[in-house]
Parts: sequence; structure tokens; C-alpha cells
Amino acid sequence: MTKILLQGNQAIAQAAVKAGLQFFAGYPITPASEILHELVNEKTVKLLQMEDEIASINAIIGASLAGAKSMTATSGPGFSLMQESIGLAHMMEVPLVVVDVQRVGPSTGMPTLPAQGDVMQCKYGSHGDYFPIVFYPNSVDELYQYTFHAFNAAEESLSPVILLSDGYVGHLYETIEVKDYDKTERTLAPLGTSNRHFTGLTHEDSKPATSDPEIHKKLIHHLEEKQKLVSKKYNAYEYIENTSSNTLLIAYGALSRVTYHFKDDFAIYRPIRIFPMIKDIKKIAAHYKEIIVLEMNTGQYVNEVERLLHRKVHLVSILGGKIDLQDIWSKLKQIRREK
Amino acid sequence: MTKEITYLNYLKKERLPTQWCPGCGNGIVLKLVCLAMEKLNFSQKDTVIVSGIGCSGRSAGFFNLDSVHSVHGRAIPVAEGIKNANENLNVIVVSGDGDLLGIGGNHLLHASRRNTNISVVCIANSIYGMTGGQSSPTTEQGSRTLTAPQGSAETPIDVQSFLKAHHCYYARSTVFHFNHAEKCITESFQFKGLSFVEIKTQCITNDGRRRGFKNAYEMLISYKENYKINNKAEVLEHNEIGIIR
Ligand SMILES: Cc1ncc(C[n+]2csc(CCOP(=O)(O)OP(=O)(O)O)c2C)c(N)n1
Ligand SMILES: [Mg+2]
Repeated sequence: MTKILLQGNQAIAQAAVKAGLQFFAGYPITPASEILHELVNEKTVKLLQMEDEIASINAIIGASLAGAKSMTATSGPGFSLMQESIGLAHMMEVPLVVVDVQRVGPSTGMPTLPAQGDVMQCKYGSHGDYFPIVFYPNSVDELYQYTFHAFNAAEESLSPVILLSDGYVGHLYETIEVKDYDKTERTLAPLGTSNRHFTGLTHEDSKPATSDPEIHKKLIHHLEEKQKLVSKKYNAYEYIENTSSNTLLIAYGALSRVTYHFKDDFAIYRPIRIFPMIKDIKKIAAHYKEIIVLEMNTGQYVNEVERLLHRKVHLVSILGGKIDLQDIWSKLKQIRREK
Repeated sequence: MTKEITYLNYLKKERLPTQWCPGCGNGIVLKLVCLAMEKLNFSQKDTVIVSGIGCSGRSAGFFNLDSVHSVHGRAIPVAEGIKNANENLNVIVVSGDGDLLGIGGNHLLHASRRNTNISVVCIANSIYGMTGGQSSPTTEQGSRTLTAPQGSAETPIDVQSFLKAHHCYYARSTVFHFNHAEKCITESFQFKGLSFVEIKTQCITNDGRRRGFKNAYEMLISYKENYKINNKAEVLEHNEIGIIR
């Protein structure tokens, strides 16, 4: 086992190569560009710098269907441009890895500062109903490891898996042990071997069926069920129990690193697979009187948590990219006082 | 003795007839693509057809080989991904003028810079057929459409110029000039690099009707009258058809 100093974005690139990446298409954007830069010199990866993120996602769809494990990486603005084709990849059942290293938005926002504003975009960014698997690691080591899992889950579910990160974790340098994790091999036969028709239209047996509600319901049901089944393999979360506290903090990604400072006063739950949501949170939450979600947006995951638990959940919202321990502490105390 | 119609083997017979309107020119383009593949002995196993969205975008689904029906405008980057992942495949794009030159125009521009070895067949009916007959990037100036009732004010797109500048293959033909069109497509499939063939095609339902044509036949004959073959041209005039390499 070797220990090396790696940046978060570099870790994704290097793990992707080890996980079997063969084709990468991307467009430069802060704070994700290092992934593109890191892959440029990889001999086993065919790389295209495309004209935009729409071309990038579509090129990896084509490459993946042709048999190459494929990935793209971007940040919020580019992720928005990819949304239509992410829906296509769900409908055509194409394995892909899409990395989103989040920055402050909306629009061009604050390009160099971290945020967590794309949580809903991961889940609901494309039109129609689909059931994405989304991982959100919080360290360089985890980014390395979950890049493998993202590739494997993509192959197992035949769907685009989102690896969510942020400008903080993406640019963080940490020493990690690089290991080879298990790899799921391709099962989908490549293009040029049969007479299948891959289409974004509602379809059955390779044939478009654009006016039969029953076929559509069956297809959507199939998409949902397979995502549930595959994601069971990746029930990844961190739970730091605290029997002397009546409050559970929920945080993920960059911000979750700060919550470790509060573990003497609070219990902590950190989902790594943020979607589909892990049901274990129901049992965990039952032990605590109060629940507080901390996130770097005006409240996205908090609504999902509330919806799952059917109870009131508090929010600590951090905006503008600055993570200040004192500020978070006083916000937590404020919530305690109000009760 | 009747000659066996072998080009039909490239199509999924169970999906015929197509759902295109009576008089639509798209079927002629499907036949042209099949004939070109047959002439070059393209095996169904090593060939992939990609389409975007539109009436023409339905083309991919009729071929009896692996095919991809992508989203509107993105057939070219999908095809480039396929070719980059497996360069032994013959990768052919068949799609509409709105799809390839309007919403997807920027991809064509940059695919031509990359000169990716794929063949693009553009069904240029000079209209957005599927959505009811709005102006498209190949609508002639002055031509009446649903969104330009007084006649289109805009210059139709000139793809020949940048494809030529980027050393790609460009050809223009019409569904009336069947043999010429077949030659254009066959040669384009042999070209090493990006090839683009624009086939002028009639849409009676959502274009011709509005421009005073009584039927599809009249539109077809208008191609005979309006386009002249020029095989020596360096640059094709707007009423000429031919091949630019
Ligand atoms: C992103 C997006 N915008 C708009 C549409 C609606 N739409 C479907 S087909 C089409 C026009 C297609 O025109 P063209 O490529 O010329 O094909 P034709 O129908 O004329 O063969 C449009 C605008 C869509 N499907 N997707
Ligand atoms: Mg058209």
C-alpha cells in the first residue's frame, strides 16, 4: 500500500483510471478543471475537450454505449447544461459517471468558493421521473474510494451515477492510501453487435411506444425498482452516536467536516449516498428530540429529510462559501434557545 | 425473373411502413442510405446509426442494426463518442436540418474542426416538420413558414463554407436526383474524416402546402427545375448540387 498526497479532484481522476475509465469528455470550469487536466496525460484514457458541457455528456453517452467506461466532470453551470441528456441516459439505461464539483450559484455566482446548491439539481434537475444514485464524499480518501463505487454502481444500475463534490473538498490536499477497490465489469453489449434501438422515447423491446400509458408506467416502475435494488449495496453513511445529547446534526460534504467539532454536544449523521435517501435515518432519528440539517444552501436536503421523517427539522444555512466555526456554533445555540 | 430487393435487409421490416406522412421524402433518404451501405458492403454488425429529434430523427429506429435516438441536436457528439470508443465502427448520423444545423449547429462546427471520421446525412426539408412548420436554418429567404408568414427574412445557413475550410467532405443533392444523391452518400461513407451530405427533401404537410404546392410530386419536380448538377464546382451556388472535398 502506498501513501500519497493528493488533491480531491486529482483523487477522482486517478481513481477513475483505476476503476476502468476509458473515455472522458469535458469542458473547463472552476473548481472542477483539475480532473480534466489530470486525465490529459493518461495513456489508457481517450480524452476529448468538447465545445461545451452538452457535447461532453452526449459524447460520453455515445462512448459508453460503444463499450467504454466513461465519465465527465463539471460544476453547477455545466451540470445545468447536462440535465436534458442525464434524463436521456436514465431512459436509455446508459452507465456513466458525472462529477459535479459545486461552487456558489445561481448563475456564475462565486466561481472559486464552495457551495452545496446542486443537491436538488442532482435529484430533480432533468425533466420527468428518474431515480439517480448520488454519492457525496467528504474527504480526499473518500473521493478516491467512491469514484470506484460510482463506476460500479453505474454498471450495475445501467444509469448515470452522480459523484457530488464541492470546491472545498475538490481542492483539499490530504495524504491517502491508494488501494485497488473491486471493479464491476461491463455487462451491456457494446454497439455494433446487435440490432437494438436506444431511444429516449418511451419504449418497449427497442420499439418506441409514445401513446401507451401502461408501457410508460411499466418503464418508470422498472427504472425506480432497479435503482432501489442497486443502491442497497451502497448504504453508505457515517453515524456518530451521542447518548447524552437530544439533538442530531445532519450534514454532508465539506460542511460535514466542521460538525465533527460538535460531537461532544450533538449526535451526527452524515449520508454519503445522499440519493436515494438511506432509510436507516428513520431509526437513528427516532433517538433524538431535535434534528438540525446544516447545508451550504438555503435549505435543500432539509426538505427531503423532513419528507422522509414526517417531522419538523431545523436548518442551519451557510451561504457565500465561508465556513466559520463560531458562526455555526452560535446558530446551533440559537436553535436550542428557541425551543 | 424478379430481382431480390436486398437493400431492405438494412431495415427492420416489422417497423415498416414508417409513420411519416404520405408524400414525405424521408423514406427516399432511408433507401439511399441503405443502398450506399449495401454498395460498400457495410456489415450490420459493424455499423451504428445515430439520430437526433424530429421527423427525420426517427430514422435511426428503422435500421436493422444497433442505433441510437438521442436528444434534439446532439446526434453528432453522441456519434463522436461512439467513434472515439470504437474506431472500427461505421458511424452514420441521419437527422434533420433543424436538429443538425439549428439546435445542434455548434456541434457540427466543432466536429468539423476535430474532423471526426463520421458521416452525417442531413434530411434538409427546409422546415421544422415535426413541430408544425416553423422556419428552419435551411429555409430559403422569402419562403413562407408558420413563424414567417410574410416570408423568412433570414439567410439560410452556409455550412459548405466552414466544412470546406476545415477540409471535411460536403455534398448537396436532392431526393429528385436519386442517382446523384446515392453517389454523394456512398462517397461520403468512404471519406476519412467528417462528411456531411445535405439532401433537399420535400415536406408537403408542413411546408409545401403553405407555399402553394398542390402535392408532393410538384415539390419533387421543383427540385429538378431549381437545382443543377455541378461536379466541378469549388463552391456550390445556392441552386447547384454537387460534391466539395
Ligand atoms: C430541446 C428540445 N427543444 C425542442 C424540441 C421540439 N422539437 C421536436 S422536433 C423539432 C424540430 C425538428 O426539426 P428538424 O430537425 O428539421 O426535423 P424534421 O421534423 O423537419 O424532419 C423540435 C423543435 C425538442 N424535442 N427538444
Ligand atoms: Mg427539417
